[in-house]
Amino acid sequence: MSDLDTPHAGDDRSMDDDVVALLMRQHGDIRNLFDEVEASEGEERRDAFRRLVRLLAVHETAEEEVVHPFARRNLAGGEQVVEDRLAEERAAKETLAALDDVDPADPTFMPRLMKLRKDVQEHARAEERYEFTHIRRSADAGQLATMAKAVKAAEAMAPTRPHPGVESGAANMALGPVAALMDRTRDTVRKAMGEKA
Amino acid sequence: MTFNPLEQRGIPLDRQLRNWRELDVPPIDPDRCDPYTRCRIITMNGIEVEAILFSHQLARNTVDPEIKRQLARTRYIEAQQQKVVNWLLPGVSSVLETTIAYEQVAVDLTAWVARMEPDPYLKQAYQFGVLEDFDHLYRYANLYEMIEHRKAESIVDNLTEVMPGRPTKYHHRNPVDNVRDPYAKDEANPLSKLHALTIMSTEQQTMNFYMNTGPTYMEPIARQLYQEIGLIEEEHVTHYESLVDPGETWWEQLVNHEYNECYLYHSFMEQESDPKVKAIWELHLNMELEHLHEACDLMRRHDGRDPESVLAPELPNVLTFEPNKQYLRELLDTQMDLTTLGAGYVRDAHERFEKMQEQIHGGEEPPSERVMAMHDDMFGREYRVQSEGEHPDPAMREK
Repeated sequence: MSDLDTPHAGDDRSMDDDVVALLMRQHGDIRNLFDEVEASEGEERRDAFRRLVRLLAVHETAEEEVVHPFARRNLAGGEQVVEDRLAEERAAKETLAALDDVDPADPTFMPRLMKLRKDVQEHARAEERYEFTHIRRSADAGQLATMAKAVKAAEAMAPTRPHPGVESGAANMALGPVAALMDRTRDTVRKAMGEKA
Repeated sequence: MTFNPLEQRGIPLDRQLRNWRELDVPPIDPDRCDPYTRCRIITMNGIEVEAILFSHQLARNTVDPEIKRQLARTRYIEAQQQKVVNWLLPGVSSVLETTIAYEQVAVDLTAWVARMEPDPYLKQAYQFGVLEDFDHLYRYANLYEMIEHRKAESIVDNLTEVMPGRPTKYHHRNPVDNVRDPYAKDEANPLSKLHALTIMSTEQQTMNFYMNTGPTYMEPIARQLYQEIGLIEEEHVTHYESLVDPGETWWEQLVNHEYNECYLYHSFMEQESDPKVKAIWELHLNMELEHLHEACDLMRRHDGRDPESVLAPELPNVLTFEPNKQYLRELLDTQMDLTTLGAGYVRDAHERFEKMQEQIHGGEEPPSERVMAMHDDMFGREYRVQSEGEHPDPAMREK
């Protein structure tokens, strides 16, 4: 891989006034982190995996709180589309929670990570094709921008980039287990959505 | 190893039909496959699409209902071959990811053909064209990072460099300057005929792909870039199809098509790294051998000529997907500023070219330039993969 760094969604200089564009870039960021975990070893792999877990948690929670409710309310047949996506997300979260307890040096870690990578990628494409397309069709510019702000608020509360001095083991511990992180993300997103409503 | 398809027999035609279970092939893993496996799939899809379209045109120009029925029978098998080959591509890939793979095919296939082509005029046609596909890869790679935050190297895997070629905005030439002179069918090396047919078919498939998938994008810059490059692909089809001698009879063309399919399936079978895909190349080669025999019979019957008189005595050296980085760098160093004038090439922008440029750009930057400006706004840099050092042309180095 080249040395070029692709910043995470929200950290590039995009206007971020369209929730769909933002989430599609985040899908790429997630794939990049899967690659990083796979390509690294030891402590680096642990670190990359922590960041992947955080980004996945924040991303999926933000989608559940922001875009799925919109799809449910506004799309014809939205209920079923969202149900299908939620089933995929539940399965991915279970794998993720289980994987979170496994040491990256454990021989079962990589095969399980590869399975998760495949499931997450299929889920992301299904969202882009069967949900996001319809959201762009039925949401106006203001709604797309409001939803984008809520997603960014979620990311701000659980930084997913390595920040100097914050990447210590203690800081990771402070973020706590995946479930707690998701809870806190949910609260933040709800607050952001409430302010905009 | 010598292999003469005229002397081999394959699977009898009445045993070539496949059922749903046999057509339902598992797709490749887009993130873990050999990129050149995907290139071979895209190439053979283009070859099979051309086989089907050519057979349809031939049928529309055929009066004898018995021959129409014979063509329909083989064409249905070819349609099944196209389905199996193209369905090896995974549904999880985005259109843009498949597009970047198409451009990798255009770069490394055309570069290889240019290296191996014995005729200097034909060689120049491939050298000219490959620098344009090379630039398309670079523009799409930058669009890909903008939309999906992914790097094109996750697709092309450092086998192919990503950097500017001849700038896309200069590919818009007056259409009359896209028409080349054909090779002479009775004097051309048989390998030259196979090369022309192969590149014409793959460029045609690229044209079809962009013209149909471009409007599926919602991002305005993506829609516009597909429109611009889609028009250039039409120019490329004009460029390459005009290399083929129009004096070849329908039956002679049919024989050349079938022979080329044997050549390519054989080539790809020899080098395929994925065993499941290799099995498909082998199966299809064994089908094509019979299609070739049938085409030879038709040529003997209707033209009163021996197919051996127009074909190579044995299959040429296998056509190979491999990195062409140094070769492309030589072309970047020497042929960036070429354009076409009539059926030849010149270094200076001539009147007809300037007029076309003025009309199509309408005083504005085209999508291929705007995509770079938008990428720069977003990331403050370009996306390139220059694994072998700086760009050979100092004017094309990143500022």
